[in-house]
Amino acid sequence: MNVGFIGLGLMGRPMALHLEKAGHSLHLWARRPESLAPFAAVNAKTHASPAEVAKHAEVVIVMVADAPDVERVCLGEDGLAAGGKPGLVVVDMSTINPNAARTIGQRLAEKGIEFVDAPVSGGETGAINAALTVMVGGKPAAFEKVKPLLEKMGKSVTLIGDSGAGQVAKACNQILTGVGVLAVAEAFNFAAKSGVDPGKVREALLGGFAYSKILENHGQRMLDRNFKPGFKAWMHQKDLRIVMEEAHRLGLMLPSAAATAQIFNAIVGSGMGENDSIAALKLLEKMSTPE
Amino acid sequence: MQLGFIGFGAMGRPMAEHLLRAGHSLAVWSRRPESAAALLALGATWCATPADVAGRAEVVCTNVTGSADVEDLAFGSQGLAQGFAQAGLHVDFSTIAPSAARHLTARYAAQGVDFVDAPVSGGSGGARNASLAIMWGGKSALATRLQPIFSVLGKTIVHAGDAGAGQVVKACNQMVMVAAIEAAAEAARLARASGVDFARVRTAMLGGSAGSRVLDVFGGRMVQQNYAPGVEARLHQKDYALLMDEATRLGVPLPVSAAVGQQLNALMSQGWARHDTSALLRVLAAGAEADPQG
Repeated sequence: MNVGFIGLGLMGRPMALHLEKAGHSLHLWARRPESLAPFAAVNAKTHASPAEVAKHAEVVIVMVADAPDVERVCLGEDGLAAGGKPGLVVVDMSTINPNAARTIGQRLAEKGIEFVDAPVSGGETGAINAALTVMVGGKPAAFEKVKPLLEKMGKSVTLIGDSGAGQVAKACNQILTGVGVLAVAEAFNFAAKSGVDPGKVREALLGGFAYSKILENHGQRMLDRNFKPGFKAWMHQKDLRIVMEEAHRLGLMLPSAAATAQIFNAIVGSGMGENDSIAALKLLEKMSTPE
Repeated sequence: MQLGFIGFGAMGRPMAEHLLRAGHSLAVWSRRPESAAALLALGATWCATPADVAGRAEVVCTNVTGSADVEDLAFGSQGLAQGFAQAGLHVDFSTIAPSAARHLTARYAAQGVDFVDAPVSGGSGGARNASLAIMWGGKSALATRLQPIFSVLGKTIVHAGDAGAGQVVKACNQMVMVAAIEAAAEAARLARASGVDFARVRTAMLGGSAGSRVLDVFGGRMVQQNYAPGVEARLHQKDYALLMDEATRLGVPLPVSAAVGQQLNALMSQGWARHDTSALLRVLAAGAEADPQG
């Protein structure tokens, strides 16, 4: 299949290469030409604009930073909408506001272009190992068309519901992982300040109802004091901002997520934004140690 | 002075009336012309567009809802920017994002027009009694031009700093004030749940270290369970979105404000958007009701 791919960063690059390895022809555009270098030796054609990519592809995958970027790629000057024929399916795998996703979807629909929101969980490792969790919102027919592509990049691919539903699922994912990382950091800091070895606490808790992947994996990295990302704290801050914006729009109380978002503000504000989210532990230690 | 005024809500109308009564001439425009009728009867001049208002005034005052409304008034089609002469001055009393105020200042500067962000505190009562607190950001050289306007509207006038500084003060004001309303509501809830009359609790507290204007005014509404606005809670909820957004942008943790913002969200989902913010007490009461399913 002729597949367009826009957004060849840490996540997008390995994802696009999986599609190429599976035999698809890639059509690429990048804001920074150096992002195209890893594709010089493979079956990939470079284009001058997203509109040109859309002209040559049946499906275009977008993997960029935030809603304004998705909007620009889809609806901006020389965007996908300017070049896409009716029937084109645009799959946005970025994490953006669900309401923004619905609006972009409606505007593409006016041109006969299908829009599917398909944000992922699993980080750079998941992208490299083709082991991502993909949460999809959109029409069933469009989902069936792109499912084989998504399965080349992810292990678990689920249609959650209508347009925006994938982003809602991702927002839920970020509530659970954000609050979860902070809970483990609080428990470990509490144990340490009580003179108890957090490693022993983790080991014991893994066998009980407090078991979680976050306690297991993030917990181990906290014990190893390995703060290399993984998932960068500033990205988690961004995702929690999306969650809290939606809570505000819906008039919905999310007390734990709100408190957690403030800790992420502090992590980023104190210069640890490029660390993994588990830098929450360092922040709590700093805030509970006399100067 | 030849002034313009746009935005005749619960705050704007009494403010515009004070300016007229103080002897200023007023050019007005409104999306809904009927909202300006009372002012026209007092001698204000109707204009066909915001640009016309700016063309007739040395200083234009606006008091609308959000950042987008102010931006549209200023730079939309037939906006103020099209009508202002050199050295025009736009004074905006709305509560908007500090970054939006800075952006408007920069855009106006390109055509030699000044912008001042001058949000107010004191509610519709303060607007009627000309006792508002006015916190403004902009060039300090503008103070003498602003004095004859501000002195007619408010009692406390503070120049906070450069463009956007007035909005930063307003954000701080909202944080301290609404957190105090929430604290008063929680005290009322605890007193009632303990079978103690909150009216007496409030009276006792007003005489001690916990005494505050919020406990007096909003606590009084809680005692009477009178939730007619004052300030509509939806406006405070809007302000919280602005200030939490700034906190995220700056990487500053505001843990109490974040929690208070969630109580405001809960108030919205109960359908009390147009109640007074003292309805935060009802949110706590709703959360304490017995589970309807069991």
